[in-house]
Amino acid sequence: MNRFRLGGELKALLFTLPAMVPLTLFWFVPLGYVVYLSFTEWDFMSPDKLFVGLDNYRNLLVDPAFYQALRVTALFCLGSVVPVIVIGLSLALLFNGRMRAGAFYRLLMFSPWVTPTVAVSIVWSWIYEPEVGLANSVLRGVGLEGIRWLQDPQWALVGVLIVTVWKSAGWCMIFYLVALRNIPSDLLEAAELDGAGGWRKLVSVTLPLISPTTFFLVIVQFIQAMQAYDQINVLTQGGPAGSTRTLLYLYYQSAFDAFRIGEASSVAIALIVGCVLLSLVSFFVGRRTVHYS
Amino acid sequence: MRAANRFAAVLRNLLLAAAAIAMAFPFYWMATSALKTNDEIWRFPPTLWPQEALWSNFADAWQAAPFARYMFNSVFVAGTIVVLQILNSGMMAYALTHMRFRLKGFFTALVLVGYMVPATAVYLPGYVILGKLHLLNTYAGLIVSNSVSVFSIFLIRQAFLQVSHELVEAGKVDGASHLRILWTIIAPLTRSSFAVLALIAFIEQYNNYFWPMLITKDPDLQLVSAGLRSFFVEGGAYGLKWPLIMAASAFTIAPLLALFLVGQRTIMRSVDLAAGASKG
Repeated sequence: MNRFRLGGELKALLFTLPAMVPLTLFWFVPLGYVVYLSFTEWDFMSPDKLFVGLDNYRNLLVDPAFYQALRVTALFCLGSVVPVIVIGLSLALLFNGRMRAGAFYRLLMFSPWVTPTVAVSIVWSWIYEPEVGLANSVLRGVGLEGIRWLQDPQWALVGVLIVTVWKSAGWCMIFYLVALRNIPSDLLEAAELDGAGGWRKLVSVTLPLISPTTFFLVIVQFIQAMQAYDQINVLTQGGPAGSTRTLLYLYYQSAFDAFRIGEASSVAIALIVGCVLLSLVSFFVGRRTVHYS
Repeated sequence: MRAANRFAAVLRNLLLAAAAIAMAFPFYWMATSALKTNDEIWRFPPTLWPQEALWSNFADAWQAAPFARYMFNSVFVAGTIVVLQILNSGMMAYALTHMRFRLKGFFTALVLVGYMVPATAVYLPGYVILGKLHLLNTYAGLIVSNSVSVFSIFLIRQAFLQVSHELVEAGKVDGASHLRILWTIIAPLTRSSFAVLALIAFIEQYNNYFWPMLITKDPDLQLVSAGLRSFFVEGGAYGLKWPLIMAASAFTIAPLLALFLVGQRTIMRSVDLAAGASKG
C-alpha cells in the first residue's frame, strides 16, 4: 500500500515536470537571480560581479532619471487604462441590443488587438509623419496647426498613448459585451417598472453588475501598461528627452545599452514590486467592493 | 415616442459606424499607402485612393528583405510553442486537478505567483541564464524559453475543474493510465479551451518582439516583428520608402487578420473563459 502511494506521488510529479522545468529555469530562477544582481555591480563582460550591497538602490533613489521614469510610467498607466476602459464600455453600450451588421463592426473594432504591435506602430509612425502624415493633414484640414507628434517632448507620450488605446479598446469592448449580455433582463425590467430612466438604469443596475469585468480589465490593462515596450521602441525609443521612457524602458536601456546590470536589476525590482503590490491591493480591494452575483 | 426611438437608433448606428471607421482606418491607410508611388505619397494633401495603384510595391518589398524567412521563423516557432504548451499545460492542469500529491498546494501557489510577476522584468536575468545554457541565437532557445505559459496552465486548469472526477475514477477502473485518461477522456471534453489556448498562444508568439529580439542577434533567426522593424530602420531608411514599408507591414499583418477571421468564434469564446477565470 505504501509503495503504491509513493508511486502515485511520483507519477503526479512526473506530470508536472514538463511545465515546472521551463517555469523554474526561465521564471523562478531568473526572479531570484535578478534580486541577487541588484546587489552587485557588473557589466556583462567581466568574470566577477562586485557585491555592493544596497548601493544600487541608494543611487536609484537620488537619480532624477528614475523619478522621471516613475512619472512617465504613472502617466502612461493612467493615460492608457482610463481611456481604454471608458471607450471600451461606451462602445459596448452602443452595441448592446440587436442590430444588423453587428458582427462586422465587432470584427473591425477587435482587429487592432490581433495584429503585431510592431507592424501597427510602424503604420502609426507614418500617420504621425509631420509633413504629409494623415494626423497632421486632418489637423490642418480643420484649420489647426500640425504637431510634431513623436519629436516634441510635450506630445510624444500622447502619440504613443493613442496607439496603445487604439490597440486595446476593442478588446475591452468584447469583454464588456459578454458582461452586458449576462445581466439578467428581469433586473432591468424591474428597474423600468420602478420608473428608472436610461441613465438611472445604467448607474444603479448595469454598472454595479458589470463591476467584476471592469475590475478585471483595469488590472490586466495596468499590468500591460507597465510592460509596454514594442510601441515605445518603434515610435520613440523612450525619447525625446526621456518623455516616453517608462520604468521598463529605463531598465532595458541601462542593461542592454549602458551595460549597468546591477543598476538595471534594481529598476527591475522596482517594477516587480509595483506589479505585485498592485495585484495584492486589487485582490483585497476587489474582495470588498466588487459586486459578484 | 416612436420617432424618438427611431432617431436614437439612427444616432446609435451613426456613432458605431464612425467608431468602426476610426478603428479600421489605419489599416485602410496602410493598404492604400502601400500602393502609392514615392511621388504621390509625399504630396499634400494626401490622396484617399492612389491615382495609379502600384501593385509591384508588394513584390518589391517582399524581395527587399528575407521576409519569407522571417515568416517561416515566426510560424515555425509559434507552432512548436503551441504544441508544447498544449502538452505541458494539459499535464500540469491534470496533476493539479485530478491527481493527489503533497506539493499540490505549493505548486498551485507557485503558478499564482508567476501570474503576478511581469514577464518583462525578468528578461535580463533570463538572458544571462539562456547564455549559460548556450541557447542564445538558437531556435531551441526561442522555443524552450517560451514553452510554458502561466496563463495557459490557468486556462486549462479552469476547464479541468469543471470535469467530474468520477470520469477519472471510471477510467482507472477500466485500467487506463493517467496519460490515457488525460488525452482520450478529459482533453476531448475540454477541447474548446485547448482551441482558445492554441489560438491565443499562436497570435502572441507570432507577434512576439521584445524577448526574441534580445536573445537572437542572427538575422536568419529573426521573427517577423523584428525583421519588419529592421527593414523599417535600415531598408526603409526611416521613412524614405514609405510605400515599401507599408507594403511590408501589410503582408506581416495579413496572415493574422486571416487567422482572426477564421478563428473569431474561438477568440470570442476566449473572452468568456477569461472572464470566468478572473473570478478565480
